[in-house]
Amino acid sequence: MIDGIQFNSLGEFLAMGGYAFNVWSVYALFAIFLTANLALPLRKRRLILRDQKRRLAALDAREESARDPADSAGWEVSMAGDEK
Amino acid sequence: MSGRWQWFHRLGSPKWFYEKTTRWLPWLVGAMALFLTVGVAWALLFLPPDYQQGHTSRILVVHVAVAGTSLSFFPLMAAAGTVTLVWRIKLADMVAKHAAPLGAWFTFLTLASGSIWGSVMWGTWWEWTDSRLVSMLFQLFLLLGVISLRTAIENAETAARACALLSIVGCINVVIIKYSVDWWNTLHQPSSPISMEVGNPNGPEFWVATLVMIVAVYLFLAVSLILATRNEILERENNAQWVRELVAQAR
Amino acid sequence: MMKPHRRKRLGAILFVAFGLSVAVTLTLFALSQNINMFYSPTQVANGEVESGTLFRIGGMVKDGSVEQQQDSLAVNFVTTDFVHDVAIEYEGILPDLFREGQGIVAEGRLDALGVFQASRVLAKHDENYMSPEVRAALEQAGANPENHQFRATPED
Repeated sequence: MIDGIQFNSLGEFLAMGGYAFNVWSVYALFAIFLTANLALPLRKRRLILRDQKRRLAALDAREESARDPADSAGWEVSMAGDEK
Repeated sequence: MSGRWQWFHRLGSPKWFYEKTTRWLPWLVGAMALFLTVGVAWALLFLPPDYQQGHTSRILVVHVAVAGTSLSFFPLMAAAGTVTLVWRIKLADMVAKHAAPLGAWFTFLTLASGSIWGSVMWGTWWEWTDSRLVSMLFQLFLLLGVISLRTAIENAETAARACALLSIVGCINVVIIKYSVDWWNTLHQPSSPISMEVGNPNGPEFWVATLVMIVAVYLFLAVSLILATRNEILERENNAQWVRELVAQAR
Repeated sequence: MMKPHRRKRLGAILFVAFGLSVAVTLTLFALSQNINMFYSPTQVANGEVESGTLFRIGGMVKDGSVEQQQDSLAVNFVTTDFVHDVAIEYEGILPDLFREGQGIVAEGRLDALGVFQASRVLAKHDENYMSPEVRAALEQAGANPENHQFRATPED
């Protein structure tokens, strides 16, 4: 069923019997189509997880300070300490 | 909730979907990579050139696979839309929402690859009088319509219902695309009857590569749609305990 | 079982979908001839096209009918559905697939002599794909592998 590779050289393969522009532009579009529709959702997932993490951290901090107002000063000190 | 429909509602739970797809994704991605590699290599290297169109037959492997798969978007969105309208299951709408833009990509690639082939084989990039070409273009407009309908309507629930209805109606166009080449005369060729014998017109040396590519493209559809739906779940369910735990564990 | 309000909603959806399908089917049926891309040589011979109007004709390029001018891009050929023939004159670049025995669609008008003056000629690909070797083998065996999509039946 498979007769083997249909080209004798790399040059012949790239030339596509004179239809290089047509064949290669379709395969280039196909590659963009595949890559875009996998990379974009994966990138969005990273952004969502990052934002949610920040949101949860902010929520936790607020809850903590609400529970024990005396501690909030200490929290600020530790933040300042982190900076050096 | 009566017992008979319980499985149906559990299937519609975002948490259930997320956990199941976490397990399925590696397998789906692996199978997709395998089929894509074999399909592309076969189409570019091993597929024999056609006696009339030469090496442009390699374009048709991609074109046929993507075009055929693009026809499944409206039925998929209509099924999800029916579930949204009748059972009000949120997950169905999340899938439908992300199917529309992916379907638009599929339809665009169908039109572009066909046009690039036609420009040399037919001698024209586009014919407004060809019912197959025009009905396929109409599918692109319908999908863009579904996408903009969702953004145009502010109330999310109303938007979901409107999109569901348009998706159900849009299925009629799929039937027209499919049979346009049989019902009317067109420049576009009708679909090929396949032959099981090597050395016959439309023999396995031509269609097996296309079959591999069709499987690859369907797997790609599944992977891409699952990834997008999981993102939607993470966003919409961000206050659920299980999502919070998941976010906390993420790097 | 399904709850009554859900069954009602499902019924409404099915009713709307069914109604629309019927409406679209009837519309397409009524418009059928306008949706067709081209007329066959038989339809042209039967006078279905008014003379002088711009239209498209679809048929096979008759074997041995192509006459290419030496010093220009002008070409004469005959298109056929194996019942009726229509002569075509065209000047311009022909698509790669154009050859004798191949399906074509030409756009233009009939002149006073009944010759189709084409302004555009497009090649039609049929649904058969095969390698040059398979094609040669079939030809040697005397089989005609081409699908005569343009073959009209005499009753037409």
